[in-house]
Amino acid sequence: MRSMPSLTIEAAAHDRFGALRSALAAVRLGAEGAMAGWPVLLGRSAFYVLLMIVLTALWNKVIAERLPGTLVAALPAGGLALYIGVTEWIGLSVPAIHLRLEDDIRSGAVETHLLRPKAYLVQRFSESLGAMLVRMTVMGMAALVLLAACGRTWPPLPALAALVVLGPLGATIGLLLFTIAGLSAFWVRRTVPAFLILQKMLFLLGGLFAPVTLYPAWLTRIALATPFAAHMYWPASLTITPSAAEMAKALAAQLIWIGLLAGVAALIWRTGLKKVLRGDL
Amino acid sequence: MSSAVITVRDLRKTYRYANRRGGFFGAIGGAFSPSYKLIDAVDGISFEIAAGERVAIIGPNGAGKSTTLKMLSGILEPTSGEARVFDLVPWRQRKALAYRIGVVFGQRSQLWGELPARDSFALLGHIYDQRGAAFDKRLAELIERFDLASLMGQPVQRLSLGQRMRCEITASLLHAPSLLFLDEPTIGLDITAKAAIRDFITQNAREEGQTVVLTSHDTRDIELVCDRVIVINQGRIVVDQPTDQLRRQFLAHKLVTLHAPSRVVQIDLPGVTRRPSEPHLAVFEIDTRKVRVEQVIAAALDGGGIDDITIEDPPMEEVVREIYAVAHD
Repeated sequence: MRSMPSLTIEAAAHDRFGALRSALAAVRLGAEGAMAGWPVLLGRSAFYVLLMIVLTALWNKVIAERLPGTLVAALPAGGLALYIGVTEWIGLSVPAIHLRLEDDIRSGAVETHLLRPKAYLVQRFSESLGAMLVRMTVMGMAALVLLAACGRTWPPLPALAALVVLGPLGATIGLLLFTIAGLSAFWVRRTVPAFLILQKMLFLLGGLFAPVTLYPAWLTRIALATPFAAHMYWPASLTITPSAAEMAKALAAQLIWIGLLAGVAALIWRTGLKKVLRGDL
Repeated sequence: MSSAVITVRDLRKTYRYANRRGGFFGAIGGAFSPSYKLIDAVDGISFEIAAGERVAIIGPNGAGKSTTLKMLSGILEPTSGEARVFDLVPWRQRKALAYRIGVVFGQRSQLWGELPARDSFALLGHIYDQRGAAFDKRLAELIERFDLASLMGQPVQRLSLGQRMRCEITASLLHAPSLLFLDEPTIGLDITAKAAIRDFITQNAREEGQTVVLTSHDTRDIELVCDRVIVINQGRIVVDQPTDQLRRQFLAHKLVTLHAPSRVVQIDLPGVTRRPSEPHLAVFEIDTRKVRVEQVIAAALDGGGIDDITIEDPPMEEVVREIYAVAHD
């Protein structure tokens, strides 16, 4: 029998950083996959630009009315255009990981992944993270070009710095929420119902519909206490009114939500995995 | 530790399916008082496989082959019984076992369809903690052995089924596993691709002293790749014997189908039996221990009027039925 000492299995199994390296390699693969699908990426960016043009025009009309007592009236000129740009930037950057998970679970392909020594969910999540970062980069550049082309000023440097941190973290929260929706496939087979509920919550409580501070006080309080606000509202609102104290608060909220949602996803995964191992799928 | 790579003792797997009742009220009733049907997919099998053996597990659809393979690879827990693979309990030490086994499911891909095979291989290298010069050397060896150089840059979804299967097997061998599980590796392939895959598996196993456990519906896979056959039917082992012995007893038949719309074909040779068929076809079962296939073809062509000829192995269901009948005589 030919031996392969350089590929010693026991040594490999005890590689402490193997999981991290493997996850990073998955991030890279996801990014390469997103870039390989460049026509889709360009189409998504074009849609994003179109959406920004239409929604900005709509909100400019609202601002022109200067409705008293609303945040709209208090915002700096062009603030809502930036707000919309950021919320849509984050929203459109999150890959549909729930569909990938649903497909793997329903088709039984998840079993193939279980034959590997690294955690399936971490690998799939990392791949989506890679795709998400590519989308954010391309659409972010598209937004800056659009702002320049429209003669609008770019956000101030502190706001851009905040966005570079809070934006990807916010999108990561969205990815975790989609992951949880995807894992519902272990029990309900199709993830569309869970996803639709999630989408409506994002729309309302995430501030995609309007800045959550425009809502009645009680609804604002609820919205701000959810992961949906950490997903979109905080990065968007801090772009138009940057503040170091608020940014620290938002960052803390995002990190806490990432930890909590990752824990929930891991718990759901483990419960679902038991079903797979029992042959109950 | 035993010298066997795989040890299985009285392994059982019973699946539980909900009995669905018809109609609205039936569905409501079922939600509150569900009833279940139990199916014994694997019903108390025991065997051992030694290092370097190439073993086929065969049987008709639903016999329990894939269930057995899933339990041995750690992705399915048995209802009862024991199994050890490299002295590990597969379903409890799944990740540790993953470093030592390679698995190919013929009907499922482990590659990323939209990306070139080389990207999938690179990621799999990280997943199995293989990297650096040793991994590059291993990959280069496999690329050469499986003749993949020209395919490495193409997205996997654009490869033919045969090319994809070569990539799938390469992917399963990247971490140099000592044991390879192959579930229907030649399913859906044409004759040439099947032959290539069989050659690859056999050559690789010989060169690396690898243990191979293969399930297949194709008797040629078994004859050409494996040196031992375990026949399973309804979750139980019917026969466990060397391939040579099984070949002499049960795999000595061929089916020759002649498409002859203009005449009735008669072949009077020993070991040739006519089977019932549609009027324009003549189907002959040939016992290759008594007569060679080319003799039968020559006899058929003598009278002319033959439009087409097909030579096949009998379906696995027939082979297993015959084995089952002989085993229970």
